[in-house]
Amino acid sequence: MPLLIAAMGLLDTELGKRRLLSIELPAIEVYNEGRDPEYRISVVRCAGSLVLSYRLKPCHNVYQLETRLLSSYPIVPPETRILTPLKHCPHLLEGQTLCLWRQGSTRAANRWDASQFTCVFAVLAAWRWLACYELWHETGEWPLPEAK
Amino acid sequence: MHIFQVGAGSGGMVVLDLISRDSGVRRVTLIEPDLYQPHNVYRHVFPPAAVGKFKAELAKEWVRDRRPDVIMDVFLADLTDPTYQSEFLRLAQDCTVGVCAVDNEPAKYAFDALMRTVRKPWTLGEVLSGGIGGWVHTLTPDGACYGCIASYLKRTTFEETVAPPPNYAHPDSAIPETTVPASKASIEAIASLHAISTLRLAQLYLGQREKSFENSFTSLVFTLQQVPGVFEEPFRSYRFLIPRSPSCLICSLTPGSSTKETLDEALDQALARLGPQ
Repeated sequence: MPLLIAAMGLLDTELGKRRLLSIELPAIEVYNEGRDPEYRISVVRCAGSLVLSYRLKPCHNVYQLETRLLSSYPIVPPETRILTPLKHCPHLLEGQTLCLWRQGSTRAANRWDASQFTCVFAVLAAWRWLACYELWHETGEWPLPEAK
Repeated sequence: MHIFQVGAGSGGMVVLDLISRDSGVRRVTLIEPDLYQPHNVYRHVFPPAAVGKFKAELAKEWVRDRRPDVIMDVFLADLTDPTYQSEFLRLAQDCTVGVCAVDNEPAKYAFDALMRTVRKPWTLGEVLSGGIGGWVHTLTPDGACYGCIASYLKRTTFEETVAPPPNYAHPDSAIPETTVPASKASIEAIASLHAISTLRLAQLYLGQREKSFENSFTSLVFTLQQVPGVFEEPFRSYRFLIPRSPSCLICSLTPGSSTKETLDEALDQALARLGPQ
């Protein structure tokens, strides 16, 4: 049996590489299939992380985004930030990072589910966040309840 | 019996103390990187004079004073530190049963990966915020992994009272609901259940105990307080048989026959396909 290193290191352990090759990257390829080239996800290495760059158009506007899979991914959730300038709004953290998972140190406080979600789920969650943002921009009300 | 334990905090130390007093235990390996600090004194077994020493060293002295015949090795290292992974793997391979007594999620997942790799059973104890109760999970090589358990519990149970919304003005600040301390009594109650479950599991795997009701649950929650909307009454136990999830993205990954070079090559090719056009 080949050595399966225990601690997750996305790009430097066998476990991390297997996760990428058998789950994450195929999921991105399925997402990209048949999609207009300008809306596909592109992936680059950045130190020990992977950075997904993509555009989303939830309603009338196009947004440029970046989702970072840290070395400790998938145990630590992906971080998504919007590169297109936004108005200051709820559910937006420093550096235009989206508050999506309510990341906490305990299982109960963390909405990310490493055993069920892939990075493409984070892209879809960002799409939903942006749809909420556009409605908030028009009405002043965030259409979904606070994370609990 | 060789116990491989990670964590010697206020709960882990109680588990270690109770387990190491069992005459069947001959060897203990403990991984714990932290120093004993002033704020630990209130809930820990060590005296205030021990502040500033490594918890692992203090734990070793504690066990040696009570069981001088037990071989005890300690590692002042973080379980997720890549430097020590080969050593941890070797130690885990050699153990009878693992004990996870840490309270952070990355370490739980790392311990899970380690124990699944060597196909050894292990237990996990978790005291709920505020000491309202706690969990003891039993994990076996062919059963649910920690990812399966965490996912199942997220969907089906309420563990704690509803938390306040995040503080958007200070996104890096501590989240209040994670800082409600448990009393020493609550910690010891759950740690004692954790110790009993660990010894039963070890005896089962050594063939010293017949399989009986252990097969009927993987996770036990024991309530210590009544909490409206969460626990109807104190001192009740609930058992859950959490199955391995066929769609789990953590334990469905199995070691393959590819070499490091083959994996690297496949990864380079996949990233080249998905690179910026």
